[in-house]
Amino acid sequence: MQHVKDSLKSLIQPLLAILVGLIVGAIAILIVGGNVFETYGALWKGAFGSFYFTMNTFARATPIIIVALGVALAFRAGFFNMGSEGQMVLGALAAALTGLYMPGPGIVKMIAAIIAAIVVGGLWSALAGWLDKRFGMNLLIVTLLLNYIATLFAGYMVAYPFKDRTGSSALSQSVMLDSSVWFPKLFKGMTLHIGFIIAIVATIVLYLFIQHTKKGYEIRMLGGNPFFASYGGVNRGRLMVISMFASGALAGFAGASEVLGSSYRFLDGSLTSANYAWTAIMATLLANSHPIGSAIASILLAALQTGAMGMERNTDIPMEISSIIQAVLILFISAKITIKFIKRKKAGAKDGSNI
Amino acid sequence: MLLEMKSISKSYGTVIANDNVNFDLKKGEVHALIGENGAGKTTLMRILYGMESPTSGEILINGKPVVFQNPTDAIANKIGMVHQHFMLFSSFSIAENIVIGREPKKGVTFNRKQAIEATKALSEKYSMPVDPTKKISECSLGVQQRVEILKVLFQGAEVIILDEPTGVLTPLEVKELLTAIKHLTAQGKSFIIISHKLSEIMEVSDRITVLRDGKITGTVNASETNEEELSKMMVGRELVKLERPEITPGQAIIELNNINLKGNKTKPLLKNINLNVRAGEIVGIAGISGNGQSELLQVISGLVKPDSGELKLQNTNVTGASVKQIRANGLAHIPEDRYLWGVSKDATVADNGIMCHLDSVSSKGVLQQSKIRELVSGWVKHFQIKTGSLQTKAQFLSGGNLQKLIVARELAHGTPFIIAAEPTRGVDVGAMEIIHTELLKRRAENGAVLLVSSELTEIMKLSDRIVVMYEGEIVGELDAKTATEEEISLLMAGGKAGATR
Repeated sequence: MQHVKDSLKSLIQPLLAILVGLIVGAIAILIVGGNVFETYGALWKGAFGSFYFTMNTFARATPIIIVALGVALAFRAGFFNMGSEGQMVLGALAAALTGLYMPGPGIVKMIAAIIAAIVVGGLWSALAGWLDKRFGMNLLIVTLLLNYIATLFAGYMVAYPFKDRTGSSALSQSVMLDSSVWFPKLFKGMTLHIGFIIAIVATIVLYLFIQHTKKGYEIRMLGGNPFFASYGGVNRGRLMVISMFASGALAGFAGASEVLGSSYRFLDGSLTSANYAWTAIMATLLANSHPIGSAIASILLAALQTGAMGMERNTDIPMEISSIIQAVLILFISAKITIKFIKRKKAGAKDGSNI
Repeated sequence: MLLEMKSISKSYGTVIANDNVNFDLKKGEVHALIGENGAGKTTLMRILYGMESPTSGEILINGKPVVFQNPTDAIANKIGMVHQHFMLFSSFSIAENIVIGREPKKGVTFNRKQAIEATKALSEKYSMPVDPTKKISECSLGVQQRVEILKVLFQGAEVIILDEPTGVLTPLEVKELLTAIKHLTAQGKSFIIISHKLSEIMEVSDRITVLRDGKITGTVNASETNEEELSKMMVGRELVKLERPEITPGQAIIELNNINLKGNKTKPLLKNINLNVRAGEIVGIAGISGNGQSELLQVISGLVKPDSGELKLQNTNVTGASVKQIRANGLAHIPEDRYLWGVSKDATVADNGIMCHLDSVSSKGVLQQSKIRELVSGWVKHFQIKTGSLQTKAQFLSGGNLQKLIVARELAHGTPFIIAAEPTRGVDVGAMEIIHTELLKRRAENGAVLLVSSELTEIMKLSDRIVVMYEGEIVGELDAKTATEEEISLLMAGGKAGATR
């Protein structure tokens, strides 16, 4: 009973944030001379108006959910992993290259591509954890900066050594994967693929892991009060590298899921311009790092984006309205983080990586 | 009557915090309010200070009814409160903290000079010396408390509420505080003091009101009562007499040989520590806090590695071992700062309870909820821990109940060696009784207990041997049977060991 009550309570804050976001959005709509109800109606229809649109929203939500789970795991352990974008991009690159150059039947290639993405994303993230553990380099800053190295490196790889020179396209992209490696679609003629099912299963697994296993318990305690954890014999350094690896592995898998499930090749900038990783971080913060909450928030934020496209098609309101709503959400989140951060500092936590 | 609170009741939902409480205060009087944790003392004072509004009842000042919506109303009616946790800006000077909210101005700018003058005048008037330009962060807790009291006086308070004023002070600072209170009452100020510490209450108060479960159990004159009677009124029964059978200590369970810890300051944190605790023995470490006790415990428990020296637990060398290894070798640890080391405040009672008990409540890495419930609810029952449920977050438990949870958790390990650091800090009489009984029980079962406490009475009551620390060194070791409080105090203040050995 208490569990249910607590879960409901933790919902109040994000719902309030969304409500205020919608109100501010409404004001913006009025300023540009639109009809609030009509516009929000179009927004809703664009996101969930039909089975096709709903599936489209879920397809967009898929990589966001998976990245959000990784971010949530790191946050729960008290580590501010801001490097999901780089981890996702490297994962996607690894998946594309493995899928292209690995010999064997399609299913083997697919599994190898997924494993490659998980390992590469995980190692890239664990590197930041190791640098913090070994040299005391601030995790937040290191993960943030590693994003640039990762995305620029991946861009170079498909601009030079692995560039697709088969077609006439001048885009920096890899060759297209063979269709035997592709993720199967869930419904004919729609973009939604099995990545979504994996994301949902992963959400439940992660929830059970964090709530009901020994390691999950250690992660929660480490995130809740690192001093208490060390007093109880939890090895912070080791757990940091492990949870950062798992966090990056999920981001890497999200990259693989995009490559194998929807773009079928690595195209430079496609993951970063869609803002998957940052949307995922936002979803996680909105849901206080609760795995199930993060998944729901991911779907909501994806809906805001797909809905905005529908809204722009059907009304005179530009899709930037959804950016305004998102901006309000970010404002709420950063206020919350700042307060938490100050509290931690006051409690004597010297470690900038803890939130 | 300066102040009267009549038939005050306050309930939160179904919980009744105050039930028909009557309380009054005369001019120039010290009226103590005592009771166990959760008896409703703080609630009553929060009502008086305008932080809560009563469900029913009224407050009269000089016979006139008043209603306080917030502390500002209370301050306007010359009531001031010093909270248990000081509310000062640590990066500002003493003068700035005192005048805050009513700063002297020069045009539109802050007149610092006048603020300093005002602070000086105030501190002289009430003979509470402070250096107005010193930063709060550089002041000892005793001085910080003086600043809090001066702040309240600067706001014009006639009635001053002190919530647990001596909890964080050293014995010397306590004495200074009690003197200051006597001074102020002589100048016509009145005090309400909330406390657990009966000896201090007996020394300074005129009248004492006891609360139990939200109801008044009695108001007595301090001159007509004694500590035993007061504890009986607080707990509602006779206190159990502690049993201390004679035990011949066995072999050393923990041994420290020449432990040194440098730290990054110029003075070493620990210097040549040689110490052992034998089976069936309680060794008490006395000392003013900050003389290396915390570092010593961190070294023993594996949180900090010593620079040199040897640490042996049950004849195994555990120097430089991890916390986990040392715990596995037979250590349990009641930490000195329960909020920093002892719990995770956002986690539930159950989660806080199973730290280091994971192996016994899980199978194949999965936590077994039924086993957790069985284990933790057993402690809740045995130690009478007041909690809504096992899923209640730790931050909603009172300090005493949280401490009981930690003590229960650590004792449940049944290890041959246990560190008990400040085991009863901020804990009420009933909880203290339980904790002391349990520690003595562990001694009787041939356990080795290392007790660290800033309460000399606690050290003297429980220990077989007393070791005194000063500036990171052990400066004296005394037999508890023959040691006197004066002897120990002298060593604590840095007096030479040779004089007493």
